[in-house]
Formats: sequence, structure tokens, C-alpha cells
Amino acid sequence: MNNRMIRRHGPGGIFIHWFNAVCWFFLLATGLGLIKNPDLQPLGPWWPNFMNSLFGGGETLLAVHWGTGAVWAGIWLIFILAGLLRYTAPFLRQIFSYHLSRDLEWMIKKPFQMILGTKAMAALVRPLGWDGNMPEQGFYNVGQKAAAVAMAAGGLVLVITGVIMTLSKYFLSPNQVPMVQWSITIHFIAAGLTFGVLLIHIYMAAVSREERPAFISMFTGTVPEDYAAHHHGLWYEEVKNSGK
Amino acid sequence: MGTNQPLTLSRRNFLKVAGAAAAAGTGLIRPNSANSATPEAPSFESKYSVCDMCFNKCSLIARVRNGVVEKLDPNPKFHKSRGMLCARGNAGVRQLYDPDRLKSPLLRKGERGEGKWQRLTWDQALDHAAEQLLKIGEQYTRCGVMFMAGADMQSTFVHRFADVYGSYNKLSHESMCLIAGTRGFLDTFGEVPIPDMQYTKYVVMSGANRFEALVTPDSMDLMKAMAGGCKLVVLDPRYTKTAALAHEYFPVRPGTDMAVMLAFAHVLITEGLYDREFVEQKCYGIEQLAEHVKQYSPEWAEKECEIPAEAIRRIAREMAAAAPQAMIYPGRRSSNYRNSTQIRRAYAIVNALLGNWDRPGGLTAARMVGLKSPGYDAPFYESNPFERIDHGVAKLMFEEEGSLKIARDAVLREEPYPVKGFFTYKTNPMQTAANRSKTIEMIRKLDFMCTVDIVMSDTAWMADLVLPSQAAFERTDPCSAQQGSSACACVVMRDPVVSDPLFESKPVFWMMKELADRLDLGEYFDLSIEEYRKEQLRDLPGAMDALINDGVYYNPSKLYGVYEGRIFKTKTHKIELFNETYQQMGLDPLPVYESPTAPPKNQFRMVVGRTATITQSSSQNNSLLQEFEPENDLWIHPDSAAALGIHDGDPVTVSGKVGEQRIRARVTRRTRPDTVYMHTGYGVLSKGLSRLQGKGACIAQVLEDGLDEISGNMAMHETFVKITKEKKS
Amino acid sequence: MKTQLAMVIDASRCWDCKACMAACKTANKVPEGQWRNWIKSVDLDLVEPGGGRLIFQPGNCMHCSEPLCIKACPTGATYRNEADGTVLINRELCIGCGQCLPACPYGARFRHAELRVADKCDFCAERRAAGLEPACVATCPTKARAFGNLADPESEVARLLKRNESVQLVQAKSPTDPNIRYLGNPGRTDWPVEAQMPSAFGFWKNVAGPVVKIFVGFSALGFGAMLAKQLFLPDHPEEDRQPEEKRHE
Repeated sequence: MNNRMIRRHGPGGIFIHWFNAVCWFFLLATGLGLIKNPDLQPLGPWWPNFMNSLFGGGETLLAVHWGTGAVWAGIWLIFILAGLLRYTAPFLRQIFSYHLSRDLEWMIKKPFQMILGTKAMAALVRPLGWDGNMPEQGFYNVGQKAAAVAMAAGGLVLVITGVIMTLSKYFLSPNQVPMVQWSITIHFIAAGLTFGVLLIHIYMAAVSREERPAFISMFTGTVPEDYAAHHHGLWYEEVKNSGK
Repeated sequence: MGTNQPLTLSRRNFLKVAGAAAAAGTGLIRPNSANSATPEAPSFESKYSVCDMCFNKCSLIARVRNGVVEKLDPNPKFHKSRGMLCARGNAGVRQLYDPDRLKSPLLRKGERGEGKWQRLTWDQALDHAAEQLLKIGEQYTRCGVMFMAGADMQSTFVHRFADVYGSYNKLSHESMCLIAGTRGFLDTFGEVPIPDMQYTKYVVMSGANRFEALVTPDSMDLMKAMAGGCKLVVLDPRYTKTAALAHEYFPVRPGTDMAVMLAFAHVLITEGLYDREFVEQKCYGIEQLAEHVKQYSPEWAEKECEIPAEAIRRIAREMAAAAPQAMIYPGRRSSNYRNSTQIRRAYAIVNALLGNWDRPGGLTAARMVGLKSPGYDAPFYESNPFERIDHGVAKLMFEEEGSLKIARDAVLREEPYPVKGFFTYKTNPMQTAANRSKTIEMIRKLDFMCTVDIVMSDTAWMADLVLPSQAAFERTDPCSAQQGSSACACVVMRDPVVSDPLFESKPVFWMMKELADRLDLGEYFDLSIEEYRKEQLRDLPGAMDALINDGVYYNPSKLYGVYEGRIFKTKTHKIELFNETYQQMGLDPLPVYESPTAPPKNQFRMVVGRTATITQSSSQNNSLLQEFEPENDLWIHPDSAAALGIHDGDPVTVSGKVGEQRIRARVTRRTRPDTVYMHTGYGVLSKGLSRLQGKGACIAQVLEDGLDEISGNMAMHETFVKITKEKKS
Repeated sequence: MKTQLAMVIDASRCWDCKACMAACKTANKVPEGQWRNWIKSVDLDLVEPGGGRLIFQPGNCMHCSEPLCIKACPTGATYRNEADGTVLINRELCIGCGQCLPACPYGARFRHAELRVADKCDFCAERRAAGLEPACVATCPTKARAFGNLADPESEVARLLKRNESVQLVQAKSPTDPNIRYLGNPGRTDWPVEAQMPSAFGFWKNVAGPVVKIFVGFSALGFGAMLAKQLFLPDHPEEDRQPEEKRHE
């Protein structure tokens, strides 16, 4: 089989992905640990108690959360600015470009395919005039695009509300305080919803056997040609046509 | 890049981040401390000192960290204050670190009061002062310089300097304060009694506001007595906080207190309720008094003072029933009326009738703690006149206190002789003496005025030379003896709490010494404060140890029954209900009531008063105390305000014979319809009091300077004013 | 023995001299215009003079046994110190969101003008660590305030409460079980207000929390189900590969 490897991710992309992943879980863990109020804590008191013990008090936990958040947002900002034209803009174009009929078909077929298998999916979608083949997808499939949009938006909201909360103590006047109060709630909502999306992303990328090459590519940067052709046909075509 | 730096973290937080990262990295688990936090104990030094915020001189403990006074606490061993520190005492920290403190000697450059100053070195300033003092001394005699020093532990050195320089013209603040009361009681009991509030059962308080104008230990002891069942009756034209806390309050018509006292005497005598045995043995003139007060029935008094006759009668009976643990509270500031000495004598007489002298809960004898005053033989100056400048007007003036009212008039008239120099220390007659225009006029007559203060007071503002004094906590001060009624007489002293005085400030002792050196009088100041204190404590072994260890020295002595087998220090050797000396001098030997003039139509009597967060005119610029009284306003009764179309907060003009001021009206039920009031010490001229610029009005500008002709006390309640609403611009 | 620090105040001894307020301000470096303690009374300008003795009521944070402020704090910066029963603020953990301010029926809290974090009376924790009484207690001219451990029957506060009738100031809709007790007549009792819990928290508790939980729950459920399928159900690799092979044809 001439299943040669195709480059999918550069080292920068790989770094920012895993940097993001580590920060995200650390921030989630510490952030949840900061919610001491039993009315608001989704996990119960054990988690903040555990985190407080681990860090030797809430003030340290808060400082760590702030510090990590600042580093996370800062590195992201550098990454975004450093490749503004090279990868940031193309990435954004990617995740915001949708082909309505093709992407809709993909979104309907994919869950059935995953849960019931290709055969059953093909049988199910036949009344719609579709066959069992997944529609062609670009560098990202529509699921990935939607997840990327959700996570980018969530991240942005988290950064903005996080900055507001942090500034409160240093710059904000009493009449600006309601903004801080709602920032706390919105920060929580954004983190919660983004985490929900993140779970799907993790399953698809790291657990699902079908996407295993993509998972591996987050370390090696390359995917097998057949995987690319199968999962990201449009991108594969592009790569092929660009003379590689 | 800015945003990825943890700029929002303080250094401390940042270190914690690092620490936590290390802890997390090594898997260390620290105990959760947040729910049982104990802050670190502050590492401050505790030093005894004495409060300087009013005349009470409460011993206190300064908590000092890194050479900075952070907090002042009461000294629990100081019984005279009952171990307390009031709001002003607590604000002493802000006085020490007041950014408005004088920083160097200043010489006037422009007109007086124009505020143009030239910075001098200490040598230049002292040379200049010495030169001026010599010049005036040569031209007008040494009595041509008048010295005035307020209640301060170093004021004694100003007086010593005046003595050796050769001027008799030494003034204290007392002629604007308490000398009428002192005179009245002295001329009845032969000494000034100390009220024993702690064990009293019945107090009539008239012309005093002891729960706002705090006096140690009287204020605290009265409250304690009341918790134990003592009854308090307050007579005051204003509804003070003391009135609000009294069991009974009567808004007495101003200036009629004597009528109430005479009616009390009337009831006590006609109903035979007075202490017959005591009066027979210890008092002189009961027959004359009985005859005299016949005319002063409660029914008569009611028409004068507007207190119901039956209430006067009942209160007299209740006092008699509680006697000897009952009293007419002697009070303190009595610079009120032309006849304040006689008014206070009436207080003294009722006390005598109650037989409360020298007994628990009554009036007790002052006790000497045994502090020595190191003496000196001042040189004699042949060219000097025979008498003080204020001599011969008030019949019974205290020569050692003088009378600012009389002295000021004399300086203006240049009679009996010219006075062209004025030296003031820690006193502010520009704000505290009635008729400010006259004070300014007097200052304009002077060739040289030198003021020593810690800030640019209004008096300093008018001076030619301003010298920066050290604040109390920077100084070494002599010992000071204090009366304390049942708290026992005691001694306090002051050592520096902070090692480095701020700016170029110096103690007045040093200034006097330096000036004396320049005038060839150095031999009279050839001493240190430490030596002076040793001399003061000569007869009190153990006193210095007590002062160092406890911050206070007590010299316990008998409190009651001191006068057993002793005579009174009066002409008749008895308590003088009838004063023959007065008779011989042409004064009324018994207090004769004169009805005060009622204010003309649409005019009001203006009265003076105090609050617990203001000391005369010295604390208004204090950054902490100012939060309680940011500015003064004019208290006016709702009925009177309505008649003039004045609403709460309206700007009004207060005008009297000697001056007018603009101020905001405070429409309040706390004053009588015929009486208005404002706090002292606002409406300053000095631009050096940064927190007071444009704040309130100056009562001294409006008050007329009446005179109590017996004591020389200034009479400040003899002013009628018009109130007019300002047209809204 | 359990410790519950408390203040017992005899309001009838207060003469409104502000010593406690001045002492507190310097002891705790409270910014200008803000106060950790107060003296309440009727408006003297309006009251009919001579209608009997007025009461001046000193007060500060009541260090409630059931503090409502804690419920309004997201981070646990406001907490009840288990060691002595005081309600304290961890300034490092406080983010200055201000939600605890209206949650106190007594208005005891304010946002520190310089530090921008919640502030209030802590019974002078720093002074107590140095073995001193709270500043207001030490300085009070009439000793209207007593301070100590309520749980210790030998303490002055316990003895005062045993000997005298006392009351707590409580707003009916916001019961807090305060640890300031007033001996005898406390004066005004009409001033505590109903606690206002933060609206952002109401939304969080009632709407945002459940929505997020359901969303994450479904995600997790799907994750778990698919993982289980993958682990326990037989695999059909050929079937999955089929379309791919087709494409290559």
C-alpha cells in the first residue's frame, strides 16, 4: 500500500494545542476549586476543600488561577499575533466557512455512523436520497469547525470576564462592580458550556478509534494519506493538486 | 507583551504563585488555613505618653512600629480618665503627622495676614526675635511685650521667660474660659472644689455639657453614677447630647440660671430642707441669705427662666432628699455673662445648703500631689511700670491668669502704657476670643508678634514671626500634676515617642532657652527638662519609677473629711454664703438677680458650646476629626426659621454689632426659638489649614466681647444677632 | 471548649462621643469616608427635646452565627473562622465583586476605597493576636462595650448576659443570630434591612447551574456510552473500511 504520510500540523500548532489543553484542565480544576459557595459549587464541597488543601488556601489557589489564566491568554495572544496572516486568518476562514448541504448531510450522518455503524447509517439515510458515504470535508470537518468556533468563543468570553474579575480589585470603582458580579456568573457558564463541547472533542479525537490517526497527528504532525483522503477529502484533493 | 505578564498580581501574590507551583510540583500538601486564620501579632513597641488634644492630659500608650506611631490606646492604669481615650485622643496620631504642620521658622514679608512668608534658619529667626524683644524693651519697657501661653506642659517655660525678660503681662487662656466659675466658688468655699461625680445621686447641670465637653473623670463618673441610679437634670438653651441623656431637660432661657439657683435656695430655706447642722457649723451668712432669697420664689423664677415653678420646687426637694450626695454641678467654662461670677456663686451657695462639702458624692477639696515648682529669682527692671496692663478694671482678676479682654482693650488704647510686642504659644485668640476684628486691630498696633505653634493657626497667620513647635509625641516634657477627685491626684510626664521630630520643629523650651541666651538671661535657663523633672519630683520618691513603669504616679491621700477640724480659707474662715469682702468692694455680697435683656424683635442670642470631637479651635483641621464635623452651621429653631423663610441648608448671614458671617442654616429643634448657636473654630483666615478652606463661619467674628467685671472673664453670651436669608445667586 | 467571640453593649451608657469610631479607624487604617463601626440614634434635630432619655446605639459587624454575607461570596473570601466564631474576610481571596455588601442586613460591609475589597469589623483580629482588646472596646470612655468569649461562662460577656436581659438586633426576614447583644434598651431597632442576595447568583443557582450541568451531563453521557460501545461491543473493521476502499477504486 502506498500509504504515505501527509503533513497536517506544524510544530507551532501542536504546541499551542497541548499547551491549551494543559492550561484548560488546570484552569478548570483551579477555577472549580475557587467556587466555595455551596449554592454555586456544581461538584459539592469536596472539590474546593481538596483544591484548597492542595494549594494551602484559597488565596494561593486564586493567585495560581489568575497567573495561569494570564499566561494562557498571553501565550495565545502571542501565537495569534505572530501568525496573524500565516495561520490565524486562514484558521478563522476555515472554521467559519460552511457548505450548507454538504455540512448538514455530514452532521446528520456522522452520529448514526458512529453509533450504529456505516451500514445502518446508509440504510437510515437512504430515504433522504443519500448513500452511506460521508460527504467530502475540508481540512476540518464540520464537527471540528463547530467545536473550534465554540471553544474560541468560550475562550474569548472566559478571558474577557476573567480580566474584568481580576481588574475589579485593582482598577474598578464601586459603580463598575455589577459588571464584575455578572462576569463571575458568565465565566462559569462559559467554562461549563465549553467544557461540554470539549468532552465531545476529546471523545472524537482521543477515544474514537476511527479518528486515531488524527490523535496521533497531534504528536507527529502527519496523517496517513488514506486517512486524509477518507476524512478530509477536499483538503486531500487540495494537497494533491498543489503538486505534493 | 503586556497582557501575558501577571501585572494584576501583587508581588506578594506573585511569590505565592511561585510557591504554590513549587508546592504542587513537589506534591506538598499544605493544610487549609483559610477557615481558622489567626493573623500575625503586630510587632509594635508600646510607649507611655500623654495626650495633647485637650487640656485633660490623659495618659496613653502609643503603639509604635518602625518609628511610626500607628495607634494610641488609653492607659488602663490612668484612673483619672477611667482608662479611656476619646475620639480626639485617638486622632492624636493625625495631629502628629498632619501634613499642614509648620516646617521651618517663617518671617512675614507682606502685610499682616497676607500670607507672604520668608523661610528663615533657626539662627536667623531667634536673632530676629531677640533683636525685636530688646528693641521693644528699650523703647517701651519690658512690660511692653505681652506673653500668652495655652494649656501645655511646656507653657511654664514661656512664663519663666516672661518673668526673667521682665514682663508682668502674662496671659493664659483662662479669661476666655473658666475664671468666673473659679472666682465664684473660691469666694464661697475658699478653694475651688472638685465634684465627686462617681458617688453622687442627684446632679443638676446648668451651664455645662459634660457628655460632650468631656472632663476627666467627671464625664465618665457621671455616666457610671447614672447607671447606678443617679438622676441628672439638665438646664440648657440647647438640647445637647447631655440634655438628650438626662432624666429631665429644661430649655432654660439663656442667662437666667441664677434665678433657678436662687429659687432652689428659696425652697431649701423656706421649707427647711437645707442641711441645718452643716450650715450652722460651716457657713457664714445664712440669715442674710434667707432674707435675700425670700423674694426669689419658684413662681417668680418661672417667669424668668421658663421652667415650671412646680418643677423647680420638686427638683429642690429631690436634691434635698438625696443630699449630701446631690449637687449643682460647678461646671467649667463660665465665660458667658457680665455677672457670671455671681451666677456661679449662686451655684456654690446651693451646694453649701445641700451640705455636700467634703462628703462622698458632693464637692471635695482639691488635693495636692506634692509636685515642686522649681523656682528662680527673676531680675528686677527699674524702668517697668507698677502694674499689669490689665490691672484695675476687674475687681478680682487672677493676676496669674490675666484678662485677655481687658488687656486687648488696653493695648488698643495704649493705656495705661503701650504694649508693642506679643508672644503666643499654643493658644489661638484669633479664633477663641470674641470680637475678632478687635483682635486684628490690636495686632495691627504691635511692632512685633511672635507665634509658636505646630500649624499655621489664624493667630500664627497674623504674626510677624512664626516658629514651628514640636508635637507632643516628639517632646520631652516636664511632669504635670492633676486633680482627679475620687480617681486620686496624680502626676504624668512625657518622653518622646518618636525619635526624630518632623521637619525643623523644636520644643518651645529650647526656643526660650536660645532666646534667653541671646538676651544675656541664659543663667535662668541653665537646665534640662530631665533636671527640671528631678527637681519637680524632689519630694516624691518612687514617682519617677511609677511614671516609667505605669505612665502615671499616684499620691493617695484622704478624699473625704479633709476639712474635719480645719478652717476655710476665707475671711470668716467659713463657707461664705454672704461675702463681706464683696460688700467692702462695693460688689453684691449675695447674688442679686438681674433679668437678662431679651433679644430685640427678630434677633437672637448667640451662645457658645462644645462637642466631643472638637477642642476649642485646635482640632478642626485634623483629618480624622474633620470627618465628624466637616464644617459648622447655624442652629436655628424651626419656628424662628419659618418666620424668616429659612429652610434647612439655606445660606444665611449672621450679623451682630461687631461683625457678620455667612453660614448655612441648620433648622433644628435642638435650640430655643430665641437662641442660635454655631461651633467654634471654623471660617478660618489662615491658608495654612488646608482642610478648612471655605468651611463654615467664625463665631469669634460675630460675638461681642462682654466683660465679667468681677473676674475679668470674657462674657460671650451677650450678643444679639440678626439672621438674614441670602438671596440665591 | 468552643469559642464564640462576642460583644455585649450597654447602649444606655453611650454618649455618642465617636471615640470607638476614631479608634477603629486608626487601628484598622479605614479610609476616609468609610467606617467599620457606627453609633445609631434617632435624628436629634427632629426629636422633641425633653421627651426622656435618648439611646445612642454603638455597633459594628455582628459576627453572626448564621451570616448571610457568606452566602453572597463566590470565592469563600468571607468565611466564619472556626477557631473563634468571627466572620472574617480573606483580602487575598476577595475579588472585590461587592455582592456581600447588600447581603448584610446591618450595612456593616463596604468596599475598601483603597484596597477595593470587601471590608468590615474583624473584632480587631490583629490587636487580639497581640493580646489587646478590640480598639473600640479599649477606648470607650464609659465602657459601654464588653468583649469576650460567649462560650466561657466565666467571661465578662457571659456574666453580663446571665445577669441582665439582652436583645439581638434582627431583621425578621433575614435572621442571622448576631453575636452582638444589647443589654436592656438597645434604642432603635428599625434600621436593619432585609438582606439582598446577589441577582447574578440567583441566576447562576437557578438557571445557569442547571443548564450547564445538563449540557455537560449529556456530553459526558454520550462520551461514556460511546466509550462503552467501543470497549464492549464487537468491532466491524471491514465494514468501516468499506467506503474508503470504494473511494480508491
